Amino acid sequence: MTTLTVALPAVAPGRAGLRQQVRSEWTKLRSVRSTWICLVIIVVAGIGLSALVSNVEAGRWSTLGVADRAQFDPVRFSQTGEFISQFVVGVLGALIVTSEYATGSIRTTLAALPRRTTVLAAKGLVIGTVVLVVAEVTAFASFFVGQAVLTAHGARTLPAGSTIVDQVRSPTIPVDSITSPGALRAVVLCGVYLLLLSILAFGIGFILRHTAGAISAFVGVLLVLPLIVAVLPSSFSSSFEKYLPSNLGLAMIVVTTRKTDFAGVLLSPWAAAGMLALYAAVVVAVAVVLLDRRDA
Amino acid sequence: MPRRGAPLVPSTHAVEPVPTVIEATGLSKAYGPTRAVDDLSFEVRSGVVTGFLGPNGSGKSTTMRMIMGLDRPDAGTVTIDGRRYRDLRWPLREVGALLEATAIHPGRSASNHLLGLAQSNDIPRRRVDEMLALVGLEGVARRKVGKFSLGMGQRLGIASALIGDPGVLLFDEPINGLDPEGILWVRTLLQGLAGEGRTILVSSHLMSEMSLTATDLVVIGRGRLIAETTVDDFIASNTVATVLARSPDPDRLAAALGAAGAAVTRRADGALLVTGLDAASIGDAAHAAGVALHELSPVQASLEEVFMDLTSGMVDYHGHVPTEAVA
Repeated sequence: MTTLTVALPAVAPGRAGLRQQVRSEWTKLRSVRSTWICLVIIVVAGIGLSALVSNVEAGRWSTLGVADRAQFDPVRFSQTGEFISQFVVGVLGALIVTSEYATGSIRTTLAALPRRTTVLAAKGLVIGTVVLVVAEVTAFASFFVGQAVLTAHGARTLPAGSTIVDQVRSPTIPVDSITSPGALRAVVLCGVYLLLLSILAFGIGFILRHTAGAISAFVGVLLVLPLIVAVLPSSFSSSFEKYLPSNLGLAMIVVTTRKTDFAGVLLSPWAAAGMLALYAAVVVAVAVVLLDRRDA
Repeated sequence: MPRRGAPLVPSTHAVEPVPTVIEATGLSKAYGPTRAVDDLSFEVRSGVVTGFLGPNGSGKSTTMRMIMGLDRPDAGTVTIDGRRYRDLRWPLREVGALLEATAIHPGRSASNHLLGLAQSNDIPRRRVDEMLALVGLEGVARRKVGKFSLGMGQRLGIASALIGDPGVLLFDEPINGLDPEGILWVRTLLQGLAGEGRTILVSSHLMSEMSLTATDLVVIGRGRLIAETTVDDFIASNTVATVLARSPDPDRLAAALGAAGAAVTRRADGALLVTGLDAASIGDAAHAAGVALHELSPVQASLEEVFMDLTSGMVDYHGHVPTEAVA
């Protein structure tokens, strides 16, 4: 009744590797409730805050001064949920690693596949794919919901080729379409920002091997590091600020074509994405080395 | 809960007996200043249950983790069928292990836990239900593992070890948390698996349990090898036959037995513990000396006592008296 009709292990072709481990990691990820809670928060926070913030901003347009009108960014309003989601994807990225260390099941995992870098790659692929898909779907849904809310308040798309001056002088509330300059890029990079943060937290998880420690470190990088940089002498802080992960995220999400206030303060969107990817890569590289060297 | 009489896992392995399957050579491992395992060499053969015996903290779990490639030895090597663990191509189909029964995410169901394991080694999905049935957990397949009792967790751990139908099985204290019925079930299961030609290494700190389950023994204390033998030889060479003799005149009896070549110690209640003479010879000696005997009974030193003697001074954590769940 319990016969396994597979060939003898000694003659079974191939070997356990990335493909098998990805399926295993997906099963493990989808079979715990915390995953679904986190993903629901990303979607609800993304779409909900988009509607809320777009509604508030639309109501303020007629009262805004020149400077505020110049910063009016319908795309960024629609991606406000990112502020909450960045912590949620950090939790997701850390937990896929640290929950196994907390229970000791990392040893079961590494016994099933002793090639540790492959295990790390499989976990990273699974959590990265899940976060990217959910974050992108949420980013696009948030974008369209946000623009719909603005349009319901009478917002109109500015004519092609409009300048910052045109926006400030516009009698109607501005709204973006996905084809507006920078809009598609900003929406796509919002999802990429969350992907890179989840991978950053994932690497921290392998380094610290402790849920509370990893999440604290991740939150520290996002929230506490900017505070520390802010109290440094301004000659330092002004050159470091743009490299903070939170500001890299801002650079990826704002639509700079009509903006003035961020000029020179933030990196360009793609440079910011590259810099954050570099951070994540360095942390993951450290994780690979430590995972290989340490006892499980 | 256990399905008594349920067939064991039939082997799909060639029952070609391999003399030595697990071979440890000069294994050493220190954690900081603590030498957990110290120049340990032993061999485990297929077809029998090998007991891995030692007090708590003697290095059994560390050794098992080194066999599994989880901990890196400071020195020495350990191979399975001549290969290092990390060189196994389908690890779960070659080696199954129960290391820590609680090492499962508490929010995951038993069947999803097993499914994840099966997928990692291309093991057919139906094997999950078969293993749950084998260990008697089919009724709680969808229940979260966090709600399991210690015994149920142990059963799930055994199912995890067997999921790939491996030829080599490592069990670290498998009867921990099991009720007497479960202990009997594990004992039968292990012997059945060994009978199919598999290689079974079972650790325990309970000598009496090993005497019931194992054929071969590897005994360690403080990370060092104390004995590598069979259970039968271990008992024969380490137990000394003692006879308890009671007489209204113990002084004369002791003198007579001493003259006959026996070693005699007197207990507080006046009874004599005699070694070196069997019960019949003691009776003869008493008769010849004209001393009345009120009691004459052989006393076997228990295996537990032998084990305690051998490992005394090698127990790192005192104040814990191993209690027997089974007689």
